[in-house]
Amino acid sequence: MKAHVARFRFALGACARRAGRTASMMVGLAFITALFAAVVFLTDALRHEARLGIGELPDLMVQRTVAGRPALLDAAHVSSLTAMRGVRSVTPRVWGYLYVPSLEANLTVVALSVSPDASLALEGRLPRDAEDVVVGQALAERLGLRIGDEVALPAAERYQLVRVVGLFRSATALRTADVVLAREPLARALLGVPDGAYTDLAVALSVADEAPVVANRAAALFPGARVLQRSLLERTHALTFDARGGMLSVLLLPALAALLLLAWDRLTGLGEVERREIGILKAVGWQTREVLEVRVYEQLVVALTGASLGVALAYFYVFWLGAPGMAGALFGWSALYPELQLTPSVDASAPLSVLAAVVLPYVAVGLVPALHAALLDPLDAQRGRT
Amino acid sequence: MPRESWPLLALLSALTLLLLAGADAWRRNANHAERARMHGVLTQLTGSSDLALSSSSRWLRNPTLVEPAAAAADAPAILDTDPAGALIPPEPTVLGQSARSLRSMPATSTRHRRPR
Repeated sequence: MKAHVARFRFALGACARRAGRTASMMVGLAFITALFAAVVFLTDALRHEARLGIGELPDLMVQRTVAGRPALLDAAHVSSLTAMRGVRSVTPRVWGYLYVPSLEANLTVVALSVSPDASLALEGRLPRDAEDVVVGQALAERLGLRIGDEVALPAAERYQLVRVVGLFRSATALRTADVVLAREPLARALLGVPDGAYTDLAVALSVADEAPVVANRAAALFPGARVLQRSLLERTHALTFDARGGMLSVLLLPALAALLLLAWDRLTGLGEVERREIGILKAVGWQTREVLEVRVYEQLVVALTGASLGVALAYFYVFWLGAPGMAGALFGWSALYPELQLTPSVDASAPLSVLAAVVLPYVAVGLVPALHAALLDPLDAQRGRT
Repeated sequence: MPRESWPLLALLSALTLLLLAGADAWRRNANHAERARMHGVLTQLTGSSDLALSSSSRWLRNPTLVEPAAAAADAPAILDTDPAGALIPPEPTVLGQSARSLRSMPATSTRHRRPR
């Protein structure tokens, strides 16, 4: 053990003697690792946020299409579905998008269909009266709205006066930035949805595992219907963020390859001083294995320092600064953009995999040059012959 | 500390920063149960678990409920072609244009006027 520690200390000294090369490699690795880790942290955090709400989704969601276009459902669909075996309840929902020219943005208008204890999610209260609405923080900031204010929104037929009785908390901005929550009659007026018509149906099943069976039966019952299962929605969330994160990671691969190529070039070119050093070590009795060990320690010190620094920088960039620049490129420029208040998912696999993706290739590209150096003949090495 | 030990110092500093980042992540997750409850309530209220990341394009706002007539119906996970996917955002006026606003826009010159 003492011998290994001594060789590790010798490797540290060797790194210090080649300060310029060591520092430049550390900085290069830190930069590349930070880029990779930032993408991983961002996608991981957003996937985690999206997953948190999935448990409360209905087992099935039924939409209707006519001529391949989305269409409204009516009471007949509700009663047919309710009568289906295995269906516990059917909740008709009214929601949609409302374009506001003054904001040049779409609002997501949702009719309140349940009344849970919402104090965790909003300040104020849920809509009770006909004109009451709860709005998201980004929308409230754009319109300068506070609780108690009234504002006219451009409804389908005419401007509709609404009163703000609640604001979604800023911690929910990622989900509610553009949301207007209203009672059903007001939502219908804003969206132009006639009475008795619904945007989609939320279906709760007696046994959640029967979802594929009931989905097939519902699809057979309503030709042209789209039946969405909760498990498929989870998959879409995962796909959305994985695909975008993966695309950016692929774009960064050439940068990693370029750095490894540079490392290979630097490490294969043994300097005069290094050659003499190896020659002296072997002349005083060091074995090839021991020289190789020292070279691997050198690679590990450089790679671990650079990669750890990169992961820490990426964490600071994403979770303290909100990933300026990268977040927009990954997740879109919407008109009502929520302030990214991301929470890291406590899962060591992401930073560890980034560390491994950078450290292992770096150490690997250094192995062959290290073996080459370790196999040098002591006399040749001291005479400057390779 | 001797000057030769700076690589060790750099390594220990980097590992300390990494540990501090881990501790911060742990601290931010302290109220995980409450956040999960909050997200559950939001899903009940809004009926969807989608994130409000691309509200200017209706098919991107709710990727899980993407409709068959939408531009991204077959691949909601693709990189946004409109208006996202760029490091530099488009002009706000371009971002806000829609069929509806174009329709209400008065014609500024005869060149752009549609033939009757």
